[in-house]
Amino acid sequence: MSELANQLSELRGRFDAAVADAPDADTLEAVRVAFLGRSGEVTLLRRGIGQLPAAQRPAAGKTINAAVEVLEAQLLEAERRLATGNFDAELAKRIDVTFPAIAPLRGSIHPIRRVMDDICAYFERHGFAVVLGPEIEPDYYNFDALNIPPDHPARDGFDSFFLTDHLLLRPHTSPMQIRTMQQHKPPVAVVTPGKCYRRDAVDARHLYQFHQCEGLLVAQGIHFGHLKGMLTGMCRELFGPDQQVRFRPSYFPFTEPSAEVDTTCPVCHGLGGTCRMCGGSGWIELGGAGMVHPNVLSEMKYDAGAVSGWAFGFGLERLAIVRYDVDDIRRFVENEPDFLQQLA
Amino acid sequence: MRVPLAWLREYVDLPADAQAVADLLASIGFPVDGIRERPAISGVVIGRIAALAKHPGADRLQVGEIETGGGTRLTIATAATNVAAGQTIAVATIGAQLPHVKIERRKMRGIESEGMMISAEELGLPSEWFEDGIMQFESDLALGADVVERFRLADAVLDVDVTNNRADAMSMVGLARELAAVQKTALRLPDLANPGDRDDGAEAPIVSIESASCVRFVAQRFTGVRVGRSPAWMRIRLALAGQRPIDNVVDISNYVMLETGQPLHFYDDARIPNHHLIVRDAKRGEKLVTLDGVERELDPSALVVADEREAQALAGIKGGGASQVSASTSAVLLESANFDGARIRRTSAALGIRTDASTRHEKTLPLILSDYGAARAARLLVQSGATPFAPHAFGAPVAAMPAISFKTSEVKRLLGFDLAAGEIRGHMEALGFGVVQESAERLLLAPPPWRRDVTLGADVVEELARMAGYERIKSEIPQVFSHDIESRGYRLERTIARTLSALGYREIISCALHGARVFENLKRAGFTPSSPAVEVRNPLSEDQRYLRYALGPGLLEHFARSGEPARVFEIGHVFSDGDHPSEISTLAFGYSVAPVEEPPWRDTAFLRIMGDSEALVYALTGQRDYEVTPDVRNGLHPGKTAVLLVDGREIANVGQVDPRMTDAFGVAMPVYVCSISLDNIPDYRTPQYAPPSKYPSSYRDLALVCELGVRANQIERSIARVLGPLCVRVRVFDEYRGPGVGEGRKSITVRVTLQRADATITDAEADTAVAKVLSALGDELGATVRK
Repeated sequence: MSELANQLSELRGRFDAAVADAPDADTLEAVRVAFLGRSGEVTLLRRGIGQLPAAQRPAAGKTINAAVEVLEAQLLEAERRLATGNFDAELAKRIDVTFPAIAPLRGSIHPIRRVMDDICAYFERHGFAVVLGPEIEPDYYNFDALNIPPDHPARDGFDSFFLTDHLLLRPHTSPMQIRTMQQHKPPVAVVTPGKCYRRDAVDARHLYQFHQCEGLLVAQGIHFGHLKGMLTGMCRELFGPDQQVRFRPSYFPFTEPSAEVDTTCPVCHGLGGTCRMCGGSGWIELGGAGMVHPNVLSEMKYDAGAVSGWAFGFGLERLAIVRYDVDDIRRFVENEPDFLQQLA
Repeated sequence: MRVPLAWLREYVDLPADAQAVADLLASIGFPVDGIRERPAISGVVIGRIAALAKHPGADRLQVGEIETGGGTRLTIATAATNVAAGQTIAVATIGAQLPHVKIERRKMRGIESEGMMISAEELGLPSEWFEDGIMQFESDLALGADVVERFRLADAVLDVDVTNNRADAMSMVGLARELAAVQKTALRLPDLANPGDRDDGAEAPIVSIESASCVRFVAQRFTGVRVGRSPAWMRIRLALAGQRPIDNVVDISNYVMLETGQPLHFYDDARIPNHHLIVRDAKRGEKLVTLDGVERELDPSALVVADEREAQALAGIKGGGASQVSASTSAVLLESANFDGARIRRTSAALGIRTDASTRHEKTLPLILSDYGAARAARLLVQSGATPFAPHAFGAPVAAMPAISFKTSEVKRLLGFDLAAGEIRGHMEALGFGVVQESAERLLLAPPPWRRDVTLGADVVEELARMAGYERIKSEIPQVFSHDIESRGYRLERTIARTLSALGYREIISCALHGARVFENLKRAGFTPSSPAVEVRNPLSEDQRYLRYALGPGLLEHFARSGEPARVFEIGHVFSDGDHPSEISTLAFGYSVAPVEEPPWRDTAFLRIMGDSEALVYALTGQRDYEVTPDVRNGLHPGKTAVLLVDGREIANVGQVDPRMTDAFGVAMPVYVCSISLDNIPDYRTPQYAPPSKYPSSYRDLALVCELGVRANQIERSIARVLGPLCVRVRVFDEYRGPGVGEGRKSITVRVTLQRADATITDAEADTAVAKVLSALGDELGATVRK
């Protein structure tokens, strides 16, 4: 017994040294063959068991098996060490992960278009098409077809840039409502974003060039509540999930009944007080809306008794001012890199 | 419109709180822009100057004994000069609160003053609209009466917006009627019966209506008129409503206009021969000096009221001429007329005169108001001592408004909620509508004579919505409707914006109107726009004179402002004037960039913008088989400009901006731009997948020498054509000029990648292919292998 133990002990000493010294996988394989191979030292020892008295053989076998397990484990460990040893230097590297990042070359979409895109995406989801159109329009599309005859006082609200007696830069995108209705029978469901022009003196609240987004839905069974529902959804999309919408009676020649549309001030969440955005009312004015006037429907050769519809028109700069808390409307046409970057 | 609440309360009971009244008005369509609170005033009472004497110790002061009722006499010193014994005035007693001061017992040069005689200013009224000095009151006022209470001076004034459709509501009575209707409370109308019943026989006024623009004209004569100051109550009301008191005749016309909404005009009856007025078109060149003293030359587009000789008033806008009421007037002829709104508005706009009268007439007033106006004016003139004759109406009679057959289901159809028949009836009756007939489905409604604006079912629905409250409208999401309306243009813009922002460009929006400076810059650079610019007829300033003909100048101005290198894009319309103004939707993108050292035949910045252009065109069209050809464009560098074509159609032009142009716009760096007419972009074609060959490919790099004029894409195309499907990729990747190549020649290196779909390509096959290529390049382009 003790002779076998001594032999194993001496063998392990040499095995340990050989494994530790092995510089690569090939050398390690040679060590394995020398000790555990078919004619390796441990194999030879195992063959020697047959010489022992029968009573001692089982114990000797166990001792050798245990030793083999240990040696094989050592070989596996050494193999792993050799395989990963090449990364030690790499893994020892330490950097400052808070060093300023390298910015990608980044462009941006103008905040007006971002608002426009969000509105359009919302309405497209509900089956509306988005139609664009000319900015130079005849007075018929801007006024007459909208139930605003010549010399109607409502024309005061659309102080326009004229190019000829009857051609002007559109003061609203309503001409596209008319063009759409001329080309399509109900149901008609469109939003019409685009540039508009009015002879307004430029200040922190006014530009002579601005953007509107109008919407039009004409079909059977459409009522005012559908407008409130859609606009509430739109405001929640733009400003947050708690937005409310309210209608106040108003007058536009092209709608009847008509309404001014307000939404909860997203800056003070409707609390009012000293809020600079809403002036303390808790509400933000979005623009005008209403049920399309029967005269407009008839002008489009629609049956005003059978179909009904609504329309609305909002200024996109106004929505962007509220959404991004912008202090001066002129920033939208100044294109300062800092402004565009902050809102990118 | 300025609405003193005190005045409104005369006709209808209202909440005490001004904000509550404002909210009520807004809820029925009359938004209140502002509430003018009145200054806190107390302790001011009516008094009579019983005696007045010079102050013994001061030349400029007088001392009055003021009776304020109940035997009280106050000694009060004043510096005012318009006081006299017997006058009825207002005094602030000890402890009184005035807008800027609290009255205390004090000595004035040795005499104890027990209060203060006050002017209009101390009552919070515009002092320049009232007598200089102490305000005068009528002697029939009770001594000791509290002035603030008596004249309701503490009640706020509202700024009310009246929409254009409500000509009937541009008045105190009009608004009171609406408030009574929504509150379902009583309306206390002023007496609208005309007190004039005396027949003026042969002296009766005659109005000849010679223009259809005058619909109705009520004329009424008054004698015994004494022109003087109006009573305090009327002056105070007018002042609170923003009207300057003038004299009792003018004040009555203004007062009645504010009260009923009917503008009036008084002529000095003695100066109207035969009491005969003529409403007619002005004669060409006819002159009229209007009340503001301006002589106006008229043409037949203007409507005038004339006597038998000449114009006396611009109808519905402003009076004038020799018939103006003056201090010596003792008889007046009243005009309470109805004119066509469009005609009044045209004349008012053409002459640039807007008055309280014209803003009312231009909305086309209800005919009935002409009767109300005359009746109220007559009543007030009688109160001031004048004697009325009977009114005479000319033109159209006040006819009943056409009845409206209203389907009650319209409420649900348009508003989404139902109103019971009883509720409908209640609201409409409160608004003055008569219910002529009633069935299960329909009401026959007779609009009141002042509501010209309600003619259709939809109008009735709006009335009901206002009365029921817009908050009754419930949010609902409509079903999705199928239709065939396309969003192509918008989606194109959206793809452009997303693609270019991903490529590192910032979107800008610049003004589409500009001044002459753009053309001056262009001219300085030696260019002219390719077509005439569209001109705006009525710009607000010269820098809005023209519509932009291209987006490029806007980009250049942006680069000039930013100073540093920048990458931007803009999508917008550009305009040109041929036979008529026209526009196209356009995209321009580009960058300003610091120049780098490069040989004159290479420009990396150009290649970069071409790369971005190609990427964009691919995103928009789904196509990569575009063609690039050199070109020359107005404003672009003659040697660094190309157009990009898809299916032979020009999609984009790309190039460096002509340096003279860049310089003229003040940009210090080279600028590269690409512009695209959005209408030219073909429909998107979805790319189709072609699986790559499973067999390995092989490539050959060919170093060629050719003439300078041979273009890279000519070589690529030639190789691709010769090899057909065997060539899966061909790409020029280097160019060299200089020693070893020879004068007038350049070296081009091209990599040709060869691959078969059915087998591995052999070296022998590749070599054969290359030999074919070289032979073809030699024949077609004169290119040889570089030794």
